[in-house]
This record gives sequence, structure tokens and C-alpha cells, in this order.
Amino acid sequence: MENIEFIHIWKEQNVKIEKTLTINKLLLKETIGRKAESTLNGLVKLKTAGIVAFIFYILILSYALFYAISNSSSASNYFIVSVSAIALINIKGFADYIKHLAWTKNINYNGSIVEIQKQLSRLQLSIIDHAKIMCLQFPFFTTFYLSDNWFPQNVGLPYIIFQIILTGSFIYFSFWLYKNHKPENLNKQWFRNLIAGSGGKSVEKAIEFYREIEEFEKENS
Amino acid sequence: MKDKNRTANFLVIVENNKGILFKVANSYCLNIEDRKDLVQEIILQLWKSFDSYNEKFKYSTWIYRISLNVAISFYRKESSRKRISNPITTDIFDFSDTEISDEKETNLGILNHIISELNDLNKALMLLYLEEKSYKEISEIIGITETNVATKIGRIKNILKKEFNQLKIQ
Repeated sequence: MENIEFIHIWKEQNVKIEKTLTINKLLLKETIGRKAESTLNGLVKLKTAGIVAFIFYILILSYALFYAISNSSSASNYFIVSVSAIALINIKGFADYIKHLAWTKNINYNGSIVEIQKQLSRLQLSIIDHAKIMCLQFPFFTTFYLSDNWFPQNVGLPYIIFQIILTGSFIYFSFWLYKNHKPENLNKQWFRNLIAGSGGKSVEKAIEFYREIEEFEKENS
Repeated sequence: MKDKNRTANFLVIVENNKGILFKVANSYCLNIEDRKDLVQEIILQLWKSFDSYNEKFKYSTWIYRISLNVAISFYRKESSRKRISNPITTDIFDFSDTEISDEKETNLGILNHIISELNDLNKALMLLYLEEKSYKEISEIIGITETNVATKIGRIKNILKKEFNQLKIQ
């Protein structure tokens, strides 16, 4: 089979396509009319459950914070600082998540295939990259319940040691997670389990495809 | 008025290049429902970037870039059907002949079958080669050097030849 014959075979369908394929113009107009729907609306529809849960969580944190500040006493200092930190980290994580989804959704496909596909894969990977900021909130879950009235003056030494070990280990653990939250660890089972809920499979696919594109770009591959 | 002209121009361009959309969708989607969604997604993306169309390139180059990029990205998502908020249940394409590529025993059917088994990037390369695009144009669409295009096409053609002959014998 000569190479030229493939082109000949391929061309067979062109005549048929021209003759028998027509475009449903009404549907086509309807499709492009949907462009009016904003990208963010599309995103909200797509990830509704997760986004609603996240907003609800941030609202609860904000309400608790507002309540603590308006009824301020020195007893609630630990609570205010801890919940503020948790809320800020969650707001930052959430904003990054939305921003990246919007970028992914808004990407202009009018570029070379290698360039656009690399960009898309990188964007998918950066969602994971930005999600790691969420790890930083863990130590604050060990401090929000403390109170100036009883801590540290009115508790025994054993409890102070316990609290230091508890908070210290959470600081170490969250810093370790933050440092290790990177796509390079995708071959490790613990990391796969960790990100399974936040689109781990698609991140795995993205990194695999990114490598495939890089290989494809090489002259001698 | 301006909007009407813009829409009318767009419809003409899509109509004139319907073959590209059909062939890309056909090569990247085996499932008919997914094919409808892919065509819908490609048209949407074409419309979105219609304003930024660069006249330096031919319409066909622009359409190939967008449709191949969308087709490749389409299956990277976990569930394509779920991804589209309001999928159209009717096909944008109307066929009066449904036998364009589905018959596996024909030469075209065999060729389509082999192409569908190539990886996403090689598939794009092969589609453009079969459309008789120049190496320069292929390199602009794919984003690799012309030498690389030539090497890769040569290699894929050999695979194609081997598999075609095998399937033909069967």
C-alpha cells in the first residue's frame, strides 16, 4: 500500500461529506447563543455542590468570628486569632480554586496544539499546587478552644506540655504536607489517597499527558 | 446589524468547513452522543474566539487549531457528557448518508479504525497529513518544527501501512 493511497482513501469521504452532510442552522444559532451565559455561571452550575458547601463553611466561620469580636473579651483571643487564620486560609484557597477553574474554562484554544495542551495541563496541575495552602490551617484547629482565663496560667504543667506537643506536631505535619503537596509525588499512594477527593485522577492524567507532550516535542522521539 | 453580519459570517465559515468538524469529531469520538457534544463544544469555542481570529492564518488553520485542541481536551475530562451544562440532544449535523465511516470492511473504515487507535497527538498529525496540509502548516497547527513533523509522519505512515495490510488480510 503506497502512502499516496491513504490520502486517496481519505478523500473518498470528502465528496460524501459535501453531498450528504448539512448543518442544522437553527441548532447552530442556538449553540452560539449560549455564549451569552457567563463563564462563571457555567462554572457555578458545574461545581455547585462543592462551591455551595465551601461558601457555607466560610459563612459559618465568618459568623462565629463576627460574634466573637462583637462580644469581645480576653477569653476569646485564641478563638479570634485561630478562626481568623482558618477563615483567611479558606478564603484564599477558595479564591485560587475559582480563579483557576475560570482560567481553565476561559482558555483561548486558538493556539498551537502543543502550546495550548501544555497550558491546560499546567493549569490543572496548579489547582493542586494552590490547594496545598489549605494544609496550613491544621495547627489552628488545636488552638481555637484555648482561653486566656485558663491557659496557660491556670492549667497544670502536664497539660501545657500536652498542648505544646499537640500544636507542635500539627505545625510539623501541616508544614510537611505543604512541602510535599506537589505533582511529583503522584506516584506515591498516600498522596493519591489525599488528593483523590479533589480531582486526583484528572491531575494524574494531566501530568501523564504533559510528559507525553514533552516527549512528542522532542525531535528524535 | 453588526451582530447579525457577524453571526451570518460565522455560519458561512462553519458551513464551508463542516468537513473539518465532522472528521475531527469522528476521529476523536467513537460514541455518537459524545460526538454531538464535541461538535457543540468546538462550535462554541470557535464562536468565542471568532473576534480574535488572526487573518494571517487561513480559516481552515484556525478551525483545525481550535477543533483539535478542543477534541484533545475533551477526553481529558472525567465525564464529557456531564461537563456540558445543557447538552443538545439533536445533532448539529444532518446526514442523508450514515455510511461515511462506520463500515469497517471498507478501506476508509479500516483507515478510520487505525487512526482512532493512535494517541491524541499522533492522531492530530495524521489527520492534517491526510488533509494534504503542507509541513509548514502542520507545524503551525501542532506547534513542533517542520523536521519533527516530517519524521513523525514518516514513522506513523509505516505503522499505518503495516496495520492496514494486516487488517485487510483479516
